[in-house]
Amino acid sequence: MAFVLTFLLRRLSQGIVIVLLVGFVIFSLLRIVPGDPVRIMVGPMATEEQVEQIAEELGLRDPLPVQFGRYLSDLARGDLGNSFIKATSGASVAGGRDDGSAARAQVLDLIVAAIPFSALLAGLGVLLALIFSIPLGIAAGLYPNGWIGRATFAISSVFVSLPNIWLGILLILIISVQLGWLPAIGYKGVAYAVLPAIVLAVELSAVIVRALASSVAATMQENFVQAGIVRGLTMRHMITHHVLRNSAIPMLNLFGAQLGGLLLGSLFVVEYIFNYPGLGLLTVNAVFQRDFPVIQGVAILTTAVLVLINILVDLISAGIDRRLQY
Amino acid sequence: MTPNAALANGDKAPVLSVNGLNVDARLATGDVSVLCDISIDVAKGEILGVIGESGSGLTVLSRAIMNWLPSPLQATKGEVNFRGSNLLKVSAAEMRRLRGKEIAYIGSDSSTALNPTVPIGKHLVSKLRSVLPQYSEQQARQRIMELFDAVRIPSPRARFNEFPFQFSGGMMQRVMIVDALCTDPALLVADNITQPLDVTVAEQIVRLLRDLRDDFGTSVVFSSASLPVAAEISERLLVLQNGRVLEETTPQDIVSSPKTDYTKTLTARVPRIWSVDHTPPRSVVMKPILSVRNATKAYFTKDPKTYFGKQTVEAVRGVSFDVLEGENLGIVGESGCGKSTLSRLLSWVEQPDTGDIFFDGKSISKMSNRELKALRSQFQLILQDPYTCLPGHKTVGEIISEPLRIHRIGSVSKQRDRVREVMQEVGLPAGSDLNLPYQLSASQRQRVNIARAMVLNPRLLILDETLSSLDQVEQARLLDLFEDLQKRHKYTYIFISHDLALVRRACSRVLVMYLGRVVEMAENEKLFFDPQHPYSRALLSAMPTLEKNRFDAEECLLEGEPPSPVNIQPGCSFRTRCPHAMEICGKIDPTPETHGLSHVECHLVHEREMVQELDRQSMRRHDP
Repeated sequence: MAFVLTFLLRRLSQGIVIVLLVGFVIFSLLRIVPGDPVRIMVGPMATEEQVEQIAEELGLRDPLPVQFGRYLSDLARGDLGNSFIKATSGASVAGGRDDGSAARAQVLDLIVAAIPFSALLAGLGVLLALIFSIPLGIAAGLYPNGWIGRATFAISSVFVSLPNIWLGILLILIISVQLGWLPAIGYKGVAYAVLPAIVLAVELSAVIVRALASSVAATMQENFVQAGIVRGLTMRHMITHHVLRNSAIPMLNLFGAQLGGLLLGSLFVVEYIFNYPGLGLLTVNAVFQRDFPVIQGVAILTTAVLVLINILVDLISAGIDRRLQY
Repeated sequence: MTPNAALANGDKAPVLSVNGLNVDARLATGDVSVLCDISIDVAKGEILGVIGESGSGLTVLSRAIMNWLPSPLQATKGEVNFRGSNLLKVSAAEMRRLRGKEIAYIGSDSSTALNPTVPIGKHLVSKLRSVLPQYSEQQARQRIMELFDAVRIPSPRARFNEFPFQFSGGMMQRVMIVDALCTDPALLVADNITQPLDVTVAEQIVRLLRDLRDDFGTSVVFSSASLPVAAEISERLLVLQNGRVLEETTPQDIVSSPKTDYTKTLTARVPRIWSVDHTPPRSVVMKPILSVRNATKAYFTKDPKTYFGKQTVEAVRGVSFDVLEGENLGIVGESGCGKSTLSRLLSWVEQPDTGDIFFDGKSISKMSNRELKALRSQFQLILQDPYTCLPGHKTVGEIISEPLRIHRIGSVSKQRDRVREVMQEVGLPAGSDLNLPYQLSASQRQRVNIARAMVLNPRLLILDETLSSLDQVEQARLLDLFEDLQKRHKYTYIFISHDLALVRRACSRVLVMYLGRVVEMAENEKLFFDPQHPYSRALLSAMPTLEKNRFDAEECLLEGEPPSPVNIQPGCSFRTRCPHAMEICGKIDPTPETHGLSHVECHLVHEREMVQELDRQSMRRHDP
C-alpha cells in the first residue's frame, strides 16, 4: 500500500506541473497567433474605440503573466471563464450582435455538455478496435510466420495508411448516402455514433494489432515459456496464464503513451467530418473563431485526462509486474 | 513393454537406457552430426555424471533425453528408453504426461526459467496440480512448503509469495529443484545447474542434490562442464567429446588412470591448489603504487514498502589496503561482496563517498580534471565481457588507437606504428587492425581490450573478471601473456575474480571480501594453507578440486548465503553465519588497527593474538 500512496502522490504532483506548463504554453501561443478575437466578437462595423473598450473589459490588454495568473485563480475556483463567441442559448453572439457579456456561455458548461457525446464515440471506437484487434493480435503473435501473422501484418499496414478524412467521407457516401443503412451527420441517437466510431476503430486497430502481435511474439520467445512445457505444463496454460499476462504490460503502456493522444487527435477530425457535437467539434470551431477560453479549457482538460490515464496505466503495470515498483 | 511391466522387472532394470543415439543438425547446407552413437544406462537411484567442454554436446544430450530438441536438431537414430518405452517414439500426449511427472529437468539458467511477474509459490503449485490433479490447492501448498524446508530455503512462508527477481541464483536453483522433485519423478536431468553459481553456493547445491537423491531414490543425469563438480557428485562418469562418448569411468579412476589422452589433458587442466608450488611475482621495491584508505560507497534505491523510503545499499564499507609496485594483488569474493564496486572506485570511474585513494602517494580526490586525465594513462581497467566492451562499428585499429588520440600522443603515423606494436605483443594477427570486433573470437576480443589498455604504457592494470568468460585453455594462454607482459613492462596487476584457482596461480597477495569489507588479507601461501578467517576457510572448502581438499566442507562450509547489503546491522558482518560467533561479535565490528600488508577482521583471531601476546609477556616476566 505504501507504494501506491507514494506513487500517486508523486505522480499527481508531477501531473499538476505538466498541466500548468501545457496551460501556459497554449495560453501564450493563442495570444501570439494573428487574429484579434475582439474584432471577431464585435464585427467589422465596430470602431477602434469600441474594440479597445471591450478588450480592456475582458482584460486582453494586460501583460501575459497577469492574464495567466487571473486565469489560474479562476481555474482554482472551477471557473474556466466565458466563451467569447457562444451564447448560453447556443447561438453565436459574434459579429456585433452582442447583447451583453452576461449572455456568453460558461466554457465549463460547453465542455460538460459535449463530453457525453465524445465519451460515447470514443468508447464505441475503442471497443470496436479491441474486439477486432485482440483476437487478431494474439493469433498473429502466436503464429508470426503463419498465414494469420502475415495477413494481420498486411491488414494493419493498410489500416495505418488510410487517411481518416478520406475513410470518413467514403463511409458516409457508401453506407449512409447510397445504402442508407446508418445516419451520418449530426446527432439524434446512438446510431449516429456508429460510422464515426468505425473510422476511429480502423485507425486505432492498426496500432493495437501490431503492438499486441509483437509483444505476444516477444514473450513467446522468453525462456520460461519453453521451460514451462518441459516442467510439465501445457502450452495452453503457458499462453493463458503467462504470455498474455506479460504481453499486457506493453499494451497498457501503448494505451497510456500513444493511444490517448491518437484518439483525441482523430476525435477532433472525425467529429468535424461527421458534424458530431462533441468536444472535437467544439474545439475546431473555437479555433476558427479565436475563442480563447474554450480552446484553453479543452486543452487543460485533455492534458489532465492524458496525465491521469498515464498514471493509471503505470499503476496497473506495476501491479502486474512487481519489478516496476523498484 | 509398458511402464508397469518394467517396474515388475525389479530395480535392476535401468530407469533410463539410451542406445546408439544420433542427433544431427538439419541445416540447409546438409546434415551435421551433433551426437554420435551415444549409449548410456542409469540405474534406479544412481547419479551419472556427464562431463565435456562447451560444444561437446552436453546440453543437446540432456535435451534429447527430454525429447525436447529444438529445430534444426533431430534425433536420427537410436532410442531413448525410459522404463522400457522409447521417448523418441511415444505420442505427444504420453510425452506430456511423462514430463514433469516422471522425468524432470533443471537447466543452468534458473533466473529465466519462471515468469518474473508471477510469485514463486504460484508457479510451483500450478505445476504440481497440473501434473498431479489429485492435489487440492491446499495440499499442493502444503507439499511445496515442506519441500522448501527440505531444500533449506529460509522462511519458506514469506518466500512463497515473493517473485523470481527477489531470489538469488542459488535460491532460485533450490526452487527449481523443488519444482522438479515435487512430483517425485523417477529421473532427474540436471543440465549444468551449478554453472552460474558461486563456489560455496554450488557446493551447497551439489550436497543438497545428493542428499535428496538418497531420500527420494531419484536417478540423476548430472551434466557439467566442471570435472571436479561432476566427479564429486556422481557414481559413474561419462566423458563426452565432439558428440561422442570417449570414456566411461568412475570419479576415482578418472584421476588415477585416465584412459584417453583427451581425458588426461582434461584432468591436467583442472587447476591444482595445494599440490603445486606457485611463485607469483612479488614486489621488489615494496613501495605502494596505489593506496586505498577507508573507502566507502553506498547506493540508494527506492523502498516500495515505506512512504518515500530509501534503501541504502552499502556496497563497499571502509576498505583500506596498499597495492605494491610490481606485485599481483588478488581480490576475491562471491557475488554481491562489493568487488565490482571496488574496481570502479580503484579505476576512479566512480568516486568513494568517504575515504580516499592515492596513486604514487598523491590523493586522486584532490586532483584537478587535467591532472586526473594525465594520470589515467597510468592505470587502466579491463572488464569481463569481451562482447560489450568494444564499440561494434569501429575497426580494431581505431579502438586500440583511441586512447592515443584522446591523450594526443604522437603523429598519426606514430600512432599507427604503436598500435601495430601493441597488437603484436598481445598476439593479435597482423592485418586484423582493419577487422570489426564481430569478426574476432572471444579471446581475440579480450586481447583487443588488453591492447587498448596497454597502448598508453600504464603502470597498473585492474583486471575485473577479465578471464572469467574464457575457457580453461584460453585462460591459461592469457595468463601466460600477462606474465610475459609483466616481465617486459614491469606492470602491477590487480586481479578481481571469483575464481580462487586463478588467484592461487597468479597473485602474490590476496584480499578476501565479504559484504563490502576486506575480512582477510594475506600472502598467497598463507591464505591457501593457513587461512585465519572462518569465511576464507569456507570459501576454500567449497572449491571444486580433484586433489583432496585441505578444508573439510562438512566442517567449514556454511549454509545459506551472504546477507543483503541493505541496512547492515552493527557488529561483525559475518557473525550471522559464523560458527564461532561470540557475544562481542554482535556489538563491535572487528577492524584492524593498522594497515599492514596482511590483516584479519575477526575477534576470534584478535583474541587469540592477544592471548599469545599476554602469554609471551608473562613468560618474559617469569623468565629471569
